[in-house]
Amino acid sequence: MDRRTFLLAAGAAGATAASAGAFWHWLEIPATVQAPGRDLGHLLRNRRDLPPPRAQFEADVVILGSGAAGLAAAWRLAREGHRNFILVGGPEPHGNLAAGAAGELRYPTGAHYLPLPSRESTHVRDMLSDFGVILDGAQTDRPYYDERYVVHAPESRVLFDGVWHDGLIPTDTLPYAEREEQRRFFALIDILAAARGRDGRRAFAVPLDAATRDPTWRALDGASFAAWLDREGYRGRVLRAYLDYACRDDYGRGCDEVSAYAGLHYFASRVGEAANAERGAVLTWPEGLGALAQRLHAACGFASPASTATPKPWWLDGMAVSLRREAAGVEVLCVAPGTGGLETRRIRARRAICAMPLHVAAHVLDGLHDFGFDVREHMPAHAPWLVANFVLAGFPAELPGAALAWDNIVHGSANLGYVVSTHQDLRAGPPPRTVFTSYCALADLSPPAARKWMENAPPGELLERASADLRTAYGWKLGAVCEGASITLRAHAMAVPSPGYLANPGLRALREADGPLQFAHADLSGYSVFEEAAWWGECCARRVLSA
Amino acid sequence: MIDRILILSVFVVASCGLAYELIAGALSSYLLGDSVLQFSSIIGCYLFAMGVGSHLSKYVRDGDVLARFVDIELLVGLLGGVSATVLFLTFSWLAAPFRVTLYALVFVIGVLVGMEIPLVMRALHARSAKFSDLVAKVLTFDYLGALAVSLLFPLVLAPRLGLARTGLLFGMLNVAVGLWTVWVFRGKLARPAAQVLRGAVVFVLLGAGFLASDRLVAWAEKGLFGDEIIHALTTPYQRLVITRWQDDTRLYINGNLQFSSRDEHRYHEALVHPALESAPWAQRVLILGGGDGLALREVLRYPNVKAVTLVDLDAEMTRLFSTAPSLVQLNKAAFADPRVTVVNQDAAQWIEHGDGMFDLAIADFPDPSSFALGKLYSVPFYRLLAKHVAANGYIVVQSTSPYYAPQAYWSIVRTLEEAGLHTWPYHAYVPSFGEWGFVLASAQGRFAPPTAYRLPMRFLDAEVTRGMFIFAPDMPKPAVEANRLNNQSLVHYFEEDWHRVIR
Repeated sequence: MDRRTFLLAAGAAGATAASAGAFWHWLEIPATVQAPGRDLGHLLRNRRDLPPPRAQFEADVVILGSGAAGLAAAWRLAREGHRNFILVGGPEPHGNLAAGAAGELRYPTGAHYLPLPSRESTHVRDMLSDFGVILDGAQTDRPYYDERYVVHAPESRVLFDGVWHDGLIPTDTLPYAEREEQRRFFALIDILAAARGRDGRRAFAVPLDAATRDPTWRALDGASFAAWLDREGYRGRVLRAYLDYACRDDYGRGCDEVSAYAGLHYFASRVGEAANAERGAVLTWPEGLGALAQRLHAACGFASPASTATPKPWWLDGMAVSLRREAAGVEVLCVAPGTGGLETRRIRARRAICAMPLHVAAHVLDGLHDFGFDVREHMPAHAPWLVANFVLAGFPAELPGAALAWDNIVHGSANLGYVVSTHQDLRAGPPPRTVFTSYCALADLSPPAARKWMENAPPGELLERASADLRTAYGWKLGAVCEGASITLRAHAMAVPSPGYLANPGLRALREADGPLQFAHADLSGYSVFEEAAWWGECCARRVLSA
Repeated sequence: MIDRILILSVFVVASCGLAYELIAGALSSYLLGDSVLQFSSIIGCYLFAMGVGSHLSKYVRDGDVLARFVDIELLVGLLGGVSATVLFLTFSWLAAPFRVTLYALVFVIGVLVGMEIPLVMRALHARSAKFSDLVAKVLTFDYLGALAVSLLFPLVLAPRLGLARTGLLFGMLNVAVGLWTVWVFRGKLARPAAQVLRGAVVFVLLGAGFLASDRLVAWAEKGLFGDEIIHALTTPYQRLVITRWQDDTRLYINGNLQFSSRDEHRYHEALVHPALESAPWAQRVLILGGGDGLALREVLRYPNVKAVTLVDLDAEMTRLFSTAPSLVQLNKAAFADPRVTVVNQDAAQWIEHGDGMFDLAIADFPDPSSFALGKLYSVPFYRLLAKHVAANGYIVVQSTSPYYAPQAYWSIVRTLEEAGLHTWPYHAYVPSFGEWGFVLASAQGRFAPPTAYRLPMRFLDAEVTRGMFIFAPDMPKPAVEANRLNNQSLVHYFEEDWHRVIR
């Protein structure tokens, strides 16, 4: 090869490499990572270094935490005219209901839907009615909903062997025996959904507090869902993959770690109906349940305390680091990032509603065992989650089969698929931009191992995990339309209902705690959904109101 | 002299090569849409094939260079020349997969074109031209040829001659270069007579095609739309094709007939006048969809109408119907009327976020054939729409055929009722559509079909109007659900109904 040819060849190769490089760079997705509560939360491990309190506030009630439980308690108090309270927002305002925005687009960074509330969920129906989501008949069998918030068709699809199928299970591709097994399973669910215990309560209900105490039903809590399915002869590969998906989707862990009662509860408790939607429909918003958090927040009419004369209720930024009982009630120390580093504030109140996760409460409150809760024995495991929002300038080309739905699942994936934030838009043409929200419960790792991985993994590795389903569905075409990804790490996202969770005596003790210190959080139910968290907030507020 | 001839042929050959590529790209984006994708993939395929051709050229023996060059010119001329016509016919008449034919043809032409320049260079080099001069000259003329065609094609050839005839013209040029080469080098070729004969046959064939191509293309487009296409464009939302046959102008959106100028007056009179005749106080009118301006034309006939807002998603559509002379004539320059405001926005977005109160709202949307379009016929949509209409005002909805799609039609009626409106369903016979349905709705609930019209009508009179509100026994009302966003039963009904009718 002579010099000229060599130079030419080298030049051509260089140009090719450079343009390929530019192409890959163009396809690369810029990612940002946030771990809400991680830095502030880890302060609890060495809180002796905190500065002395600079301000002091007083109120009748202090609510610690602004997730579903804290907001529901605040909303009920404000709604009944009991406005003398302070809410401390916690390390992440709105907790698992938090949302984000990218320009005109909004998206969830936590929970994203609410099933039609059951007859027993009167507290949720009250809220939805106040917010105009239920238009009529809030406490009837079949309320009339504003259809803008009921998930629009097509609701879901599943990717199976390279083709999208309607629904959550690719039933039409399966042999007769497997279809028959599925039919048998869902026929059983129909029976269980209507079943009642000897005390007349539903065998499976939301809130769990309204379910039967009948030991014949509660016995299901003795084994894992996987063991129960094996025993009952549900072995079809596709059905089991779907049920495992369902458990990871609601509880953060697979069938083998979740109680059989919880596994069945997922299906049999969804009995809410609507006058104008199909049974099993769900409510959703572009920003997920962030929309409910916004409405609850706004309905409380919070002010921030400029002086003691500012009318309550007040919203305080920051988080509680210590909660103690005093002769006259409770004393709370809070920290918040201020102008010159962290600032400490003291709040004195007659009562406190402790609306924070129990693993945090165990640090904030010294005497948790005085209530009958032994941290080592009774603390539920918390499943870690990763939620990633991909902001897209346009819609990538689809694989064949069913069209893009609200919820899009990849069969057999370790992740939980993705939802489309603009699905509920009222429009005929596609929007210019959209957000795909991808959910991953890291159930393939033990919770501590998953937390360690989340803390140490570089953004690229987190992005790879978060985008796995989208890569399967769209390949390199995702990068071509993706403006960026925002990854939210939730290391202790939700309590796992492991076998025995129903009978957990520590949780029962905290549920029943009354007096100056009460507890409200989905952890008290042993699993994490909006209705449960809001229920315990409601119970606390009712006790305050009737005291 | 001889070298100059070869260099000139480089110019022609390069022009032809680029022309075939442009023709294939333009034709596929015209027929398939998504021009960025079509052009990129065709250019890619073509350039790659040219590389393959260049590689293959080394297998031509030194003694055969000129003879093979002539053969290639004839073959390129034939294939390239007929490519556009063949693709057009394939798309409209044959069941053959269009894309396979397209890329196969592009690839074969690319391979042949790729062999041309290396062969010319070898022929010139054999005549002992200095290599550096040779490369410079050949490539200069190669690129000049490309420049010439890249300007001529969009500005002159495609608009004046059309794609099919442009292709045939360049085919003849290729053959002419081949024949010329045979003539100049007749002493050096083994069998010049046979090549002249072959060249002549191809030339005559292409020439005949060129003369007959008008009829061929017309025949091909007839296969697609039945008539001559006078406008065709692909917008970000849809493909618009406007055809004409004698005095009949037709609009197709994504291949579905929207109107025929022969009987659109029936459709638009029925859509507009029963409501506007009954609302002599109406000053403000809202038209959703209807980017063709035909409903607008009817509305503007009323002097009492002071302002009309027309919301159509597709800016290309309203632009076409406010600029193309034949279409402007059809809607009587409705878009130029100072009373009209055009909003190019998604109608559902506009009624959710826009403001303004109207005495009449006309929803003239495409049929609910998809979940996206179904949202424009849903309970929340009508609830929001009703908020923009005065209590004593009216809403009129084009609502597919009560005869062919009875479930879909009555589901729309049911949906309007569920949104809290009183309804008066009616229908009219539009020959190009068949029996067509409309629903008139009002929040307050007072309406009687007009017994006379203040304005002269072509189709409507008292008797016809009375008949429109009567449903014959063979158009019974089935039991159907309202169209809820949660399950969009209307889209299922629509599919089910038309599936029964269309074989």
